[in-house]
Amino acid sequence: MINPQKHIRLRIGLLLALCMAIMAMHSHSAPNAGRGKSVYKKANCVGCHKWHGGGGGSYGGIALSLRTTPLNRDALILVVRCGRPATDMPYHYRKAYRGDNRECYGSNSASLGDATPPRAHYFLSDRDVAAVVDYVQSDIQGRGTPGYDDCVAFWGADARRCILMAQSKSKGEKK
Amino acid sequence: MGLRRVRWLVLAVIICSAGVVFATESTSVTTAERLVGAVGEPNNWLHHHGTYSAHHFSTLAEINRDNVSDLKVAWTFSLGGTEGGGIHPSAGLEATPLVEDGFMYAIDGWGVVTKLDVRTGRGKFVWRMDPGTDKDWAGEVACCGVNNRGVALWGELVLSHTLDGRLVATAKYSGEIAWERQIGAPESGETITVAPLIVKDMVITGVSGGEFGIRGWLEATDLNSGKRRWRRHTIAAPDEPGGDTWADDHEAYKTGGGGTWVTGSYDSELNLIYWGVGNPGPDWDRHYRPGDNLFSNSTIALDADTGEIKFHFQYTPNDPFDFDGVNEHVLVDTQYKDKPHQMMLHADRNGYLYAINRVDGSFIYATPYVQRINWTSGIDPVSGRPLDYDPEAKVQNYAGVASSRKKLKSDLICPGIMGGKNWMPMAYNPQREIVYIPVNESCNTTTTNPVDDDSKSIPREWFTAGGMHNPERFFGSLTAIDVKQGKVAMRIETEYPILSGVLATAGDLVFTATPDGDVVAYDAENLKELWRFATGSGLNAPPITYAVNGKQYIAISVGLGGTMPKWWIEAVPGLENINPSAMIFSFSL
Repeated sequence: MINPQKHIRLRIGLLLALCMAIMAMHSHSAPNAGRGKSVYKKANCVGCHKWHGGGGGSYGGIALSLRTTPLNRDALILVVRCGRPATDMPYHYRKAYRGDNRECYGSNSASLGDATPPRAHYFLSDRDVAAVVDYVQSDIQGRGTPGYDDCVAFWGADARRCILMAQSKSKGEKK
Repeated sequence: MGLRRVRWLVLAVIICSAGVVFATESTSVTTAERLVGAVGEPNNWLHHHGTYSAHHFSTLAEINRDNVSDLKVAWTFSLGGTEGGGIHPSAGLEATPLVEDGFMYAIDGWGVVTKLDVRTGRGKFVWRMDPGTDKDWAGEVACCGVNNRGVALWGELVLSHTLDGRLVATAKYSGEIAWERQIGAPESGETITVAPLIVKDMVITGVSGGEFGIRGWLEATDLNSGKRRWRRHTIAAPDEPGGDTWADDHEAYKTGGGGTWVTGSYDSELNLIYWGVGNPGPDWDRHYRPGDNLFSNSTIALDADTGEIKFHFQYTPNDPFDFDGVNEHVLVDTQYKDKPHQMMLHADRNGYLYAINRVDGSFIYATPYVQRINWTSGIDPVSGRPLDYDPEAKVQNYAGVASSRKKLKSDLICPGIMGGKNWMPMAYNPQREIVYIPVNESCNTTTTNPVDDDSKSIPREWFTAGGMHNPERFFGSLTAIDVKQGKVAMRIETEYPILSGVLATAGDLVFTATPDGDVVAYDAENLKELWRFATGSGLNAPPITYAVNGKQYIAISVGLGGTMPKWWIEAVPGLENINPSAMIFSFSL
């Protein structure tokens, strides 16, 4: 005879597993990437690297493309945390280059002088740095030309940009 | 007639009378005559710039230099509207509120208009109009923050813009939208942040998007029909006057920039509208757009009825610096070198205050108002051209400090790209004949990332051809220039650039505010600080003054936004600690 309580637990367990499987099918993001996307917006990565990560000119410096960058996870974490000397990629680690602190590239602002990266508007915790790198690696890096799916992933299906992209794609297919 | 019937009659008369009084007070009609004569209504602040002449001056003098130290908060009101959208994590508050007959109209960065009843010395909520701006759609292509600089009044309507490109007409009495029309095209990178200018029965709209490959324009909407009266492109096509100043072979004019995002001035006797035109695009690759690039970085004078450009004056031809020429125009009648002049004063981002004849566009003088200028060695005293301008060259080199295809990294450029002064309006005291300029004492560098001549800008993508850098900290100053002499009369330095604009009053006071949160009053005679109040937030909006029941108030929008906290925090350290806010502060004795 089946224990009713066990039966309910089994059903709940199966339901949860099914939900997780469906969520996994509909998302190519790493588990931490949702938080990473909000960090990507809040910390103004979106300002210079753009929503699609393609980089280029803006009112910040000239940002590199995160879609084509060969940097691995450790290198991405380093760059987000410490910025890039002699460029406009800012550092997001609160103590970077401060006083005698040489955690970044073995340097402080005294040794780097004018090459010290600018400080970011928002400092990020190690957890946030990891989250934004997860997001970049799962949703941007190596993903080719940004398309409709990328638009929906960033802005949502209701966003006018994405609706226009869909319409444009549809017109192109009809031609 | 029975007693009961008489009582009812009396009651009805009282109710009707009260209704008439209420209706009269609540539905002031803003006529063209009132707008021309706004200087005669010091109790009100009817225009974005105070008057058509843009003096930002009031004859109110209850608050004066003898008693300003007693100034205190009368009321505050929270507008809301700090939420972000697009590439901006939060919105700012750059708007100048308007006041008409005891009612204030304020607007937040997303175009939400709030009407307040200020007749009782408080800010009492009346209505709120939310235009439902598409935040991500507009915020993604707004270079410089979620901004809206103010509303305009006409008839029984409040006119306002939205960042996603609409003009909205709202009934003053009810707050209901009477009509709206789409003017700007965010799908092409156009947004609207400018406060409308009412001229006769038209509302004039300008556009933002000089960093997104737009071709700028001004547009007049007929307020009676709600339809377009005229549109004038600010970047000349090949077959238009000025078209020969785009000497390329790839139709660079089509993405040539020329935004019009600061409200213009109007001379009703000459029937001319004066409006500043922004930088050419792409910002930092001038080889892509050889020629003087008219009418970028120019003041254009337009026939109000037709939009025809009657004349222009260009400040920085073939601009390599992003010296966006949009700043306001202060119309002044005065003597210079013993001759009467009808001037317009324009403090350009390039660091010079220009006095231009507003009848024919001829040059009168230019005076440096910042402490460091190195992009040119001066301004030609006859032509008004930069001394390093080469009339034979299609690509200007000026003093050689700019970045370009041939020199990818610039030297230090002074003033920097945000200018010696940005959109924040200066104030002119006609009694002293002094203009008070809010200054950003700054230098920076740029990098050019050349654009392929055969490529076109991608709609809604940045089209700057480079970026900028801030190796130095910015600071500010309030610089006073004697208009009759064309010389700096006095200056005080400030810790941060002044991003709030200036108000001058007949109380011999000069009001401004700091981005780190203080509203300040100075003595107009010597710029001695007389009063300061810490709002606990940041400010980048101009102060105004108004009066109700004979009592004078100073009011200002509080809520830091704009470019500096987002893009250049390293040049203004400390402003990262300012949290978003959207408040109105009003002060009185």
